[in-house]
Amino acid sequence: MTVPETDGLPRIVRPCGCPEGEEQSAGLSRRTLLRRMATAGALGAALTVAEGLGPNARYAFAAPTTYTGDVLVVLSLRGGFDGLNAIVPIGDPGYAAARPGIGIKAGALIPAGGIFGLHPALLPLKPFWDAGTFGAVHAVGQPSPSRSHFSAMEELERAAPGSSLRSGWLDRTIGLRPAGTAFQSAQVGSTQVASALAGPNPELSMRTIESFDLGGAWDTAQRTLWKKTLTSMYAGAPAAVAGPAMTALGATMTTSTIAAQTYVPANGASYPTDSNLGTALHDVARLIKQKVGLQVACVDEGDWDMHAGMGTADTGWMFDHLTELAQALAAFATDLGPLMDGVTVVTLSEFGRRVAENGSGGVDHGHGNAVLMLGGGIDGGKVHGRWPGLEATDLVDGDLAGTTDYRLVLGEILANRCGVSSLTEVFPGLSGTPLGVTKPLS
Amino acid sequence: MADARTLHLLRRATYGPTPASIIQATRLGRRAWLDRQLAPTTIADPAMDLLLQRFPELNWSISKVLTEYAGKVGTWDVMLQLSRATVARAIWSERQLFEVMVEFWSNHLNVTNPSSEVWDSRAHYDRTVIRKHALGSFDDLLVAATQHPAMQHYLDNASSTKAHPNENHGRELLELHTVGVDAGYTESDVRNSARILTGLTVDDRSGGALYLPERHYVGPVQVLGFSHPNSTAAGGHEVAVAYLRWLARQPATAALIVRKLAVRFVSDTPPASLVTALTATYLAHDTAIVPVLRQLFASAEFAAAAGQKVRRPYEDLVATVRVLGLKPDLKGTVGIEALHWTLIDMGHGPLAWSPPNGYPDVAVAWQSAAGTLARWNAHLSIAAGWWPKTLTGPALTTMVPKQRPATYGALLDVLSTRLLQRSLPARQKTAICRFLSDEWTTITPTAALPKDSIALGWRLPFVVALLLDSPQHAIR
Repeated sequence: MTVPETDGLPRIVRPCGCPEGEEQSAGLSRRTLLRRMATAGALGAALTVAEGLGPNARYAFAAPTTYTGDVLVVLSLRGGFDGLNAIVPIGDPGYAAARPGIGIKAGALIPAGGIFGLHPALLPLKPFWDAGTFGAVHAVGQPSPSRSHFSAMEELERAAPGSSLRSGWLDRTIGLRPAGTAFQSAQVGSTQVASALAGPNPELSMRTIESFDLGGAWDTAQRTLWKKTLTSMYAGAPAAVAGPAMTALGATMTTSTIAAQTYVPANGASYPTDSNLGTALHDVARLIKQKVGLQVACVDEGDWDMHAGMGTADTGWMFDHLTELAQALAAFATDLGPLMDGVTVVTLSEFGRRVAENGSGGVDHGHGNAVLMLGGGIDGGKVHGRWPGLEATDLVDGDLAGTTDYRLVLGEILANRCGVSSLTEVFPGLSGTPLGVTKPLS
Repeated sequence: MADARTLHLLRRATYGPTPASIIQATRLGRRAWLDRQLAPTTIADPAMDLLLQRFPELNWSISKVLTEYAGKVGTWDVMLQLSRATVARAIWSERQLFEVMVEFWSNHLNVTNPSSEVWDSRAHYDRTVIRKHALGSFDDLLVAATQHPAMQHYLDNASSTKAHPNENHGRELLELHTVGVDAGYTESDVRNSARILTGLTVDDRSGGALYLPERHYVGPVQVLGFSHPNSTAAGGHEVAVAYLRWLARQPATAALIVRKLAVRFVSDTPPASLVTALTATYLAHDTAIVPVLRQLFASAEFAAAAGQKVRRPYEDLVATVRVLGLKPDLKGTVGIEALHWTLIDMGHGPLAWSPPNGYPDVAVAWQSAAGTLARWNAHLSIAAGWWPKTLTGPALTTMVPKQRPATYGALLDVLSTRLLQRSLPARQKTAICRFLSDEWTTITPTAALPKDSIALGWRLPFVVALLLDSPQHAIR
């Protein structure tokens, strides 16, 4: 490859023969591209024309994707998921002792191997547990735990303790890959984007597929009219505004096409009705089946902050919430069928809850927690991790100790299932041995 | 049409030009207009004063919030009032540059609103720290912000003790609030920074700021070039204040603050010449903000930077409501609440950024397709009065002169001048005319505009929305 010199700066001639800055950016990570745009002052140069319009710099966000790893679905259980009543350490005598009122009794549990049993509300997921595609890790924690929902969530999703990084771990993950489609990473079920996606790499967000549409377009003809008009309006506009505008128009064409098709979940799958989580996973499944280029999806489910009245094995707050979770995940896995071989779902929560119940039939903010995993690449049907025990001397400030850094679980998934080769770029300073929660990508 | 430099100033120093602000700035001249904006207490703002009466809790002390909400501890009521009043002020306050600077400092010294630990103190922080010092000196602002209960909770210093120092606040103070991450401080500096702040905390009963000597780390401390024997617990508060005032005066702090101001007002990559000049001014004026702003707006670099900033979603929405001339609900705040919800949907709720570094202010951070779609949909929804429904103000038809423009092109020029402060390039006129055409009627810019044209009727909100969707409106 020849490298002619201009102004003393080497210019790389692309194999495609196209001038630099015009080529699609396959092979060039988006992080590099953005850094280059920022340092070159591309925006400043592009916005100087009196009309506020300048020459069109190419916005290279539509490169064909070469990604072949799993679609990673990160399900955030906000409020502090009580892993101890979901994946119950029934064989540890400390459990029943600490939770005389709200503890799940042995007879009610679904046996899960070793000292563990699954909360009976997780019954819809039992077939996947038995098939080895649903599993858990227990006693997972953050390196610098906090009992504040807000701080704990921020740190969990930044996932870079001891560093000055201000981006989220999923944004950094996407930044390592070649630019994909507009759907490369998406928050589904809400337009409020998880902090894990925060950073220089753009993501999509949508309440539903149907709602991601032009408000003034009531039918296909109108939508086409809007698209044509706005495309003309943005011709020659600076990349900083034209890029996202064109991406938005393209994405609405995709979502409206998907929305126009009647969707019947496959294999008799039945998503829970009147459930935001069910609707969101239903939409994630549609995006996966439509092959729109989805690589990372974030879905939120809130209301896990059960300080009082969390209920029993067969009724109440925790039962209802776990039922919804289990039904939605089971429907998702059933609907996708064999496609689940290329999908990994992982749950995260900002902290676990205290071991001992409080005086209100609930549990307060704690630390160590369970992570749930679902997908063809999961080594499921078992509870991974090192169990620290529930004796008074085993606890940390009354909490289940975190014996596994949650980033080790995520890191293994990223490395083994999602093609990430430089984990420390996502999780700086991460060390430790993977637990073996995944099967290598075949 | 107003002169280009006046429009440039209005686009940057306010939340968007309006017909009235253009007339005023043109009449006063740029310098006098700026002088007035830099002295906000001299600007009468009667309509805003009246509107703020709908947010009475913003004037409460923290202890009054605690008393009034004793049965509803942790409520978001006051925090939501603050968010909504912030939107209202950005749109309707006459003290526009002041409001822009309040937003600037709210991001620089971010305390996320709403967030649970500051439910009782966040509005107080806005009023007694940010607004009080927004055009004062950074020195006073930093001292006030650092000790305020909202910041104390947000960055965990409230629970920091000599035995267990929490480094969060001590670190962010250096990294974000003052000298910056590249200032060359070490982990030992961070530890000492945290030690100096120990003792500053919050009184659980009153919710007010408190210094507890028994929590203060005693012994020599050194952070960068600051050192102090720090030999008594009783003197710890004074050491902390001396440390903060020292930090505020560091050249690295000066450079960080003025560069941020230049990014806000000039360009995403401000020229080094401007940053150097403003740094010197900041230091020469003992951290006073107004001289820096005065020099910034008078600079050649500012004049040369027209069209170089992109509006973020918040600025787009506020500018939209302003330029349409909409006014608040006749009573209550339902319309303002709807605008607030729209902003949350766009990922840019005022004061709502969760990490401590504040919302980014460079275009690359906001290149979101979902955000763009949300903006377009908001333009139409607001222009058509679909949602919010309860804002008042003139009908869109009042933008069209009584003497009807002769052609569609002339109509688009009238609307574009009114909304975008410039005439519309031919290509965009043609595009909108095609939008108005159907299988029976082909509309072109030169076609005569009939009295019963859909462009003056049911399609008018769509035309207005398309103009607001244009790249011209997306640029600050």
